[in-house]
Amino acid sequence: MSREHRSMAWTPLLFSGGLAFMLFSLFMAVPFGEPLMRVGGMIQQTDGELGAANLVTAVVLGYRALDTLGELAILFAASTSVGLILTGVKQRTVSVECEELGELFEQASTLLLPLLIMVGFYIITHGHLTPGGGFQGGVIIAVALFLPTLAGRGAALLNHRLIQQVEGGAGALFILLGVAALLQGESFLQPWLPVGEIGALFSAGTLPLLYLAVGIKVGAELAALLTHLSTNVPSPEVPR
Amino acid sequence: MTLAIILYTGAIGLLVIGLAGVVMSSHLFRMLLGLVIAEAGANLLLILAGYRWGGAAPIWQAGQFPTTMVDPVPQAMVLTAIVIGVGVQALAIALLIRHRHYSGTLQRTGGLNQLQADLDREAGVRHTRSSDAPTLNPLTEVEHVH
Amino acid sequence: MSTEWLPLVVALPLLVAFLLQPLAHWLGVRAERPSPVLYGLSLMTIAATLWITLQLGSDVIAQPLSVTMGGFNTPVGINLYLDGLAYLLLLATQLALLLLWPAGAAVRTHVLLLVLAASSMGLALSGDLFNLYVFYELLAVATFGLIAASPGRAAPLVSFRYLLLSGMGSVLALSGIALIYSHSGSLNLADLSMLAASGEGSLPIAAFLLILVGFGVKAELFAVNSWVPEVYSVTSSRFAALLAGVVSKLAVVMIVRILLLLFPQPEATDPLLLLGILGLVSGELAAWRSNDFRRMLAYSSIGQLGMIFIAFSLSLELGLFAGLALSFHHMVVKPGLFLLLQQPLSRWRVVLLILFALSLVGVPPLPGFWAKLALLTGLVEVGGWLNGVAAVTFLVATVVEAGYLFRIVQRYYQEERPIAGSTSSTVAAVESPWGWEGGVALMLGGVLLAVTLTINPVTEQLQQIALQSGDRERLISTITVSEVE
Repeated sequence: MSREHRSMAWTPLLFSGGLAFMLFSLFMAVPFGEPLMRVGGMIQQTDGELGAANLVTAVVLGYRALDTLGELAILFAASTSVGLILTGVKQRTVSVECEELGELFEQASTLLLPLLIMVGFYIITHGHLTPGGGFQGGVIIAVALFLPTLAGRGAALLNHRLIQQVEGGAGALFILLGVAALLQGESFLQPWLPVGEIGALFSAGTLPLLYLAVGIKVGAELAALLTHLSTNVPSPEVPR
Repeated sequence: MTLAIILYTGAIGLLVIGLAGVVMSSHLFRMLLGLVIAEAGANLLLILAGYRWGGAAPIWQAGQFPTTMVDPVPQAMVLTAIVIGVGVQALAIALLIRHRHYSGTLQRTGGLNQLQADLDREAGVRHTRSSDAPTLNPLTEVEHVH
Repeated sequence: MSTEWLPLVVALPLLVAFLLQPLAHWLGVRAERPSPVLYGLSLMTIAATLWITLQLGSDVIAQPLSVTMGGFNTPVGINLYLDGLAYLLLLATQLALLLLWPAGAAVRTHVLLLVLAASSMGLALSGDLFNLYVFYELLAVATFGLIAASPGRAAPLVSFRYLLLSGMGSVLALSGIALIYSHSGSLNLADLSMLAASGEGSLPIAAFLLILVGFGVKAELFAVNSWVPEVYSVTSSRFAALLAGVVSKLAVVMIVRILLLLFPQPEATDPLLLLGILGLVSGELAAWRSNDFRRMLAYSSIGQLGMIFIAFSLSLELGLFAGLALSFHHMVVKPGLFLLLQQPLSRWRVVLLILFALSLVGVPPLPGFWAKLALLTGLVEVGGWLNGVAAVTFLVATVVEAGYLFRIVQRYYQEERPIAGSTSSTVAAVESPWGWEGGVALMLGGVLLAVTLTINPVTEQLQQIALQSGDRERLISTITVSEVE
């Protein structure tokens, strides 16, 4: 790095320092560890009206379900954009280090695949009871589906068409569960079905169903994203 | 109080280091990494907004909800923010792959010069700035330039 | 129709977007090929949201309505708030999408445009701070994808640079939201508005500034608008028209909502005024200097938005009215100019161009004049040295604007003479077919003339809307009423 470059770096550093000082003094002005919990307290006082043992799930899928729909749509838009951007880039499967991986790795990936999928679904279906849920479980499922590619056996497991149908269906399920509440004369995305006994696996009305839709959608989308990114590596030579 | 200082220093430090990284890196991928770090800092700030001394996780335990629990709302917001971040990062990597495919480099300056040249060519103006009258039709104007 | 159906304007485009790709497979459409069926389906979806909006919003200027999501009362749940301003924005978004939807697009472009539609409507309606952030990000992601998909080698890098800037803005906005949440423990705009009325202090102002810089990226605010000229020069005219016309206004209105409801203090409006002045100066000067039409329009758009920010910073009924008038005027004129740019200019197109240019500069009978007059009288009425500076800058900027806009027209008449030698194809001897873009531009010109003829009733309506959207008590009471039910 030339001397000129180094002297130019002072300006951003100065600004960063200023920003850090400003943010620090602002956040120190707020009492730490004693949140007002204006909204959080109201949720606490409902005492689990939605039947979800995990209150974070009640917030994510009940009180702030529209945020979750938006976030699903963001992931969906990102995966669609990636597909749009990378179509036409020269395809090259990642098989460079295939030989070096060895038998052990391949066999282990085959063994791990069903286990990981099971763990993923466990985390999704228990999202209303324990920490975890659709996003976390979905990521595990995506990793499971991506494992064969990592092990160098190509993306044989991933049928793009199937994945698109699964993710589209799961997203539609989320919205349709909300619309179903609307058709019953209630609000959009209002939880329905009996609440059941708090802490039981089959409880909390539609929340587990919503999380199942989220989990499947996230799993399918991330798997599609990962394979898209890994099979569309540009060739190392410089075109220009 | 010291805990608060340590935690906020961590979060704000990550945020500012990330932003500075975006501004100061000379490589496009490192700029993206800077953004990822900054996002982590912002998410930590959100989490800290809901922390409560001695608070338990907001989960039904032993037949009741804990009387002192951390605020569940920022946790839900952070979940949303993290997923948003993942989506944006994946898209950014795809953009970089495509850019690399076109230009063969991920260096910031090389890419910028090329970008300027490309934009000028597409707009149908000379790369050197002149104070000519505006071109009316970019497509046909290219011929006039030569 | 029950008001509970309002969320469908967001949910319906998303539902269709989720199902479009499986449907394309089922119909046997290749992902890269255009398909009239999917095009029709997308248009029908937008038309359906238009129908819902018209059904629900007919008497919204008299009585705004608030719809809670999931049946949870407001500070806990999220609410959608439909008032006159949101109603107008929804209609503008839907009409713009219907008119500018690319017919021959690939399946994934349709999907992204549907997502863009849903997020725009969500932005116009949402009454919750964090929910606004989510829809803002959704809009951003859809925009990045659509920009990167435009032809040309520069598109991915342009989109990436926009993404980085927008991402940095989001980080700042998110920390602003964290600050507001830890300060007040709530995210609902009406609830925060009630809390803000009682509390004082510099902390909320700082939070507002963070949010302003964060969300200002899309609103082409000064210092975070470097993406504007790059993006507008790589995208297609239709998409540039959509971005400049509707999307930037949505971001502006979102900032104004936050400003009006939470921070009506001068400490918050002064920075906005200052950034507005800087945006106006830099935008107009860059437009004056730029030597290609597209970039000139992009820079001019920055200048116009600076003007709009100046208007909104007045924070009075008059300023609000002027800001809305300027916004809606820009929403008609700028897409018209971008669309005209697409085609070779012929005599009638130049007439149309001159009409748009005259209105943009603010020549008396046209709507642009009344909007600018409202801003100027507002600035003078409020007084203060900063407003004086703004007024002077504004007048000088108008002269600059006139200068560069008429350079285009001058260029046309110079080239029309055969003396120029080159049989330039920029001037078609015969009127070439107008095409869809030309038709839409013609229609926008028609709208402009119609507004000129009916300037009094339009002004009255807009003034009513401005009054209503500036009315904090109204908003709070509307949302509390819906809580009682």
